[in-house]
Amino acid sequence: MSNLLEIRDLSVVISEDKRVLVNDVSFDIKPGEAVGVVGESGSGKTLSALSILGLLARGLKIESGEIRFKGGDLLKSSTEDLRNIRGKEIAMIYQDPMTALNPVMKIGEQLLEVLDSHQHQITDKKAHILNGLAAVGIADPNRAFDSYPHEFSGGMRQRVMIAMSLLLSPELLIADEPTTALDVTIQRQILALVARERKRRKMSMLWITHDLGVVANLVDRVIVMYAGRVVETGTVDEIFKAPKHPYTAGLLASLPAAGRDRERLESIPGVPPKPWQVLNTCAFAPRCKEARDICSSHRPELTSNNSSSVACFFPLGAKQ
Amino acid sequence: MSLSINDVTKRYRIRARKSVVNALNGITLSVEKGRTLGIVGESGCGKSTLARLIVGLEPPTEGSLLWSGSPLGQGVKNTIRSRHSKTQLVFQDPYSSLNPRQTIGACIAEVLKTHKLRSDAEITARVIELLGVVGIAADMQTRFPHQLSGGQRQRVAIARALAAEPELLVLDEPVSALDVSVRADVMNLLVDLKNKFNLTYIFISHDLSMVRHISDEIAVMYLGRIVEYGTWEEVLNNPKHPYTKALIESIPEHTNVRGIDFENVLEGEVPDPANLPQGCAFHLRCPLTVESCKLKVPELLNASKSHLVACPEVLK
Repeated sequence: MSNLLEIRDLSVVISEDKRVLVNDVSFDIKPGEAVGVVGESGSGKTLSALSILGLLARGLKIESGEIRFKGGDLLKSSTEDLRNIRGKEIAMIYQDPMTALNPVMKIGEQLLEVLDSHQHQITDKKAHILNGLAAVGIADPNRAFDSYPHEFSGGMRQRVMIAMSLLLSPELLIADEPTTALDVTIQRQILALVARERKRRKMSMLWITHDLGVVANLVDRVIVMYAGRVVETGTVDEIFKAPKHPYTAGLLASLPAAGRDRERLESIPGVPPKPWQVLNTCAFAPRCKEARDICSSHRPELTSNNSSSVACFFPLGAKQ
Repeated sequence: MSLSINDVTKRYRIRARKSVVNALNGITLSVEKGRTLGIVGESGCGKSTLARLIVGLEPPTEGSLLWSGSPLGQGVKNTIRSRHSKTQLVFQDPYSSLNPRQTIGACIAEVLKTHKLRSDAEITARVIELLGVVGIAADMQTRFPHQLSGGQRQRVAIARALAAEPELLVLDEPVSALDVSVRADVMNLLVDLKNKFNLTYIFISHDLSMVRHISDEIAVMYLGRIVEYGTWEEVLNNPKHPYTKALIESIPEHTNVRGIDFENVLEGEVPDPANLPQGCAFHLRCPLTVESCKLKVPELLNASKSHLVACPEVLK
């Protein structure tokens, strides 16, 4: 099956001083597949996603790479073409719906704006929006249509964001930590909603988060990022049951979980480096239990093996 | 020595809306010295209000809080201050809880001066000692908060709390703002410090996995009331209250791939604390609701000797 999205050797830098924030990132998303990108703050996960939509903040720029969506390179697309894709074929939901929604515009108008900015076959726009709001579990869509964002709770605002992103049935939904600001029982409602809509629409999804628990329950495949690079990829079972990169394994071991020793958590010493501080070495080497001399003098390339890949000279579980 | 919270209520008047928020409603709790009480609940449940009351940032509207028998949060300002050196608070966000224009050494020294804990000559040595206790090198004392990582800042915030030589430390979401890979380190530090200084902890979090890790006893709060209380094993391995059950089922566990049940999801939203429903605050979302739930606020009753539940339906 051909890929819906292919990112090849994507690098993002700060325009002014060329400091690297995302470094040679490559990954694919197949039609209908849900991919999770996991990483800590500064790992480059959000910038990689924003690059897909051409939404990098001023001062940042894509230094090199290709982002192919259904065969065409988005980085070579005109602003006009990109605008047609954004919101229609690729939609995004953000962490904080309060800043993503316009506070002085009624919900209905904001959703209508999406329909008015794109070409489509929808004739009764208001009915389509009301259906969309009902589908994400908004009890009184007519009232919601005429309300402002501040009249809703955080969970309801995120439902409105999801309804907005699904209006034109995108093929790819990008979600950047959309449940981080929500309470856990509300998070579960939103995750259930997204899982259901994805299945129903056979939509692909790119889910960006630092929450490993969410990823383990929502996606098919996982990409682990560290200091601006992809360090491991695999199916959700491979990543959570047999992680190969010492960073992935360390992260999983550091989290408290039911049935684990309550006295001591396995900790990873130190802090993640800034991507631009890492030269030709493994970025994780200073914090790694498995590190040997070569790890601080050479950079391990991401090497594939069937469905998984890992950037480590001494991956866990490999024959020595 | 112990903390006892007796029938504490805290109300806030909201002038603009001409309404009253019952942030805390008849909270009764006690924590024995050397124990860790975990408090879990979602936003608006009153857990941070309780934290502020315990350290005396605000007085209760009704009821009393006692540490080793002496009241917290009442009396003239100076006695509150001296008494409150015994109960200290560590905030969630070390980016906003440290003064950005003060070096971390000065920030800790300020506590020593305020509470007159050391003479001027001894202050520098004590600051270095406190930084050492939380694993920060002595030469860092001249740095400003922005030069530190999130984990280091939270260590400084902990050192500042320890500077007052507290007996009780209230930790309000102490690792939630930190990167995943540094949380374990700070949690381990907290466990070490508790043993080393014989501290009593109140550990407040929405993250059940962290609360499970550190707590001896757990109180589950919902809209200003305690709905379940017991040892950590009773509450987490044998939850009784429908809300506690829903909370536990909602945690996506990384050890349980595709384990979360998306079919039976707790529906509905947390009601507005300024406009609570009659009766049990949970009855609008609860799968067990019967008529009586809509009329009367359920009392906390014993499910076993140490296990309390505010739901008559599960105790039948």
